[in-house]
Amino acid sequence: MRSRKAWLAIVLYTGSTVYISYLGLQGYTDTATHNAVFWLLIIFISMFATSGSFAGRDSEMFYIYTLVSPSRFILARLLYNGIFLLSVSLLAFICFQFFVGFGDTNQVLFLAALLLTVWGISSLLTMSFSIASKGGGGFTLMAIISFPLLVPLLITAQHLSEMAVAGSDTSGYGGYVTVLLALDGMIAALCYLLFPYLWRD
Amino acid sequence: MPVPALEILHETIRNLYFHVCMWFSMMFILTVSLVYSLKYLNKPNEDYDIIASQSSYTGLMFGVLGLATGSLWARYTWGAWWTNDPKLNGAAIALLSYFAYVVLRNAMDDEQKRARISAVYNIFAYAMMMVFIMIYPRLKEVDSLHPGNGGNPGFNQYDLDSHMRLVFYPAVIGWLLLCSWIASINIRTERIKRHLANQ
Repeated sequence: MRSRKAWLAIVLYTGSTVYISYLGLQGYTDTATHNAVFWLLIIFISMFATSGSFAGRDSEMFYIYTLVSPSRFILARLLYNGIFLLSVSLLAFICFQFFVGFGDTNQVLFLAALLLTVWGISSLLTMSFSIASKGGGGFTLMAIISFPLLVPLLITAQHLSEMAVAGSDTSGYGGYVTVLLALDGMIAALCYLLFPYLWRD
Repeated sequence: MPVPALEILHETIRNLYFHVCMWFSMMFILTVSLVYSLKYLNKPNEDYDIIASQSSYTGLMFGVLGLATGSLWARYTWGAWWTNDPKLNGAAIALLSYFAYVVLRNAMDDEQKRARISAVYNIFAYAMMMVFIMIYPRLKEVDSLHPGNGGNPGFNQYDLDSHMRLVFYPAVIGWLLLCSWIASINIRTERIKRHLANQ
């Protein structure tokens, strides 16, 4: 499906944005700032990675229309984009740990926050990018549509990961995890139900 | 009507009759919009699209009013126009996503395509907004300054002699009616516009 060149581009994009943030973060030692910058990085990397999977697909789509039903197509795409974005963000996390670092982190909690959030982001971006590409508005429209919808996920993720990096009281994580799970489930259900209406004109 | 005399709040407690009613009206009219978007996807009828779009424009207007009155109230009681509060974040996200709805609609020329795709987005945005406005601020881990959240008492606990309820309940009905009336004018205007354009 995806060519090796595109993979390389995303790996490079991830590496260089992390390195730029490492340079920009010189002198900022508190973990809350690192945490905030990390989630900003995740948004931009997700936008870049997901938008790539929508470019230059028109000729392929003609065959896909005749082969599969829209609900199977969206399930496959959600799964593919989810796994893809998870591996990219895991790479970003490793790079970030290597260059910047969070200090004394509760790794399990942080990775759980990352996994749940990135899964939600990936489904949300998949859906809003299909809406925007039908709208014919290009990248600007994609950003306008998806940013407000991303905020709930990101705010919850940031609270949860702040608990993980502060190394302090993590007893209250249950509520945030529940919210993230509920958001992920809801986004996936909405994608599954609504995507058939975006399927061909 | 007398209101309870309280520190800090003083007469600003009367904002209850405006601010809260505006958000109720917004939620009401956006729900109408959601219902008509669902109806449109079920059975594509141009009139459903007109009702859905004009209702959400009206809802957006009431949202802006609710934000303005809330901000003014916050300036006098909390000391700041805007705070990083879950309730306020929810409101900002709701408005941003419905502004995005307007932008999305303007980006498309073909009427049927615009109706279908904006209906899909409307349902999506409404669901995300409901989670963030209705569920998130009620989590016990989330701190909030807003009355009725984060352990703060709602105004109903101050209203011991029910004088405020006497004003509040009719005010809610009045605002809802006003909101429906404005929406219906918008809907009828849009119907006439489309009719003239088709001639």
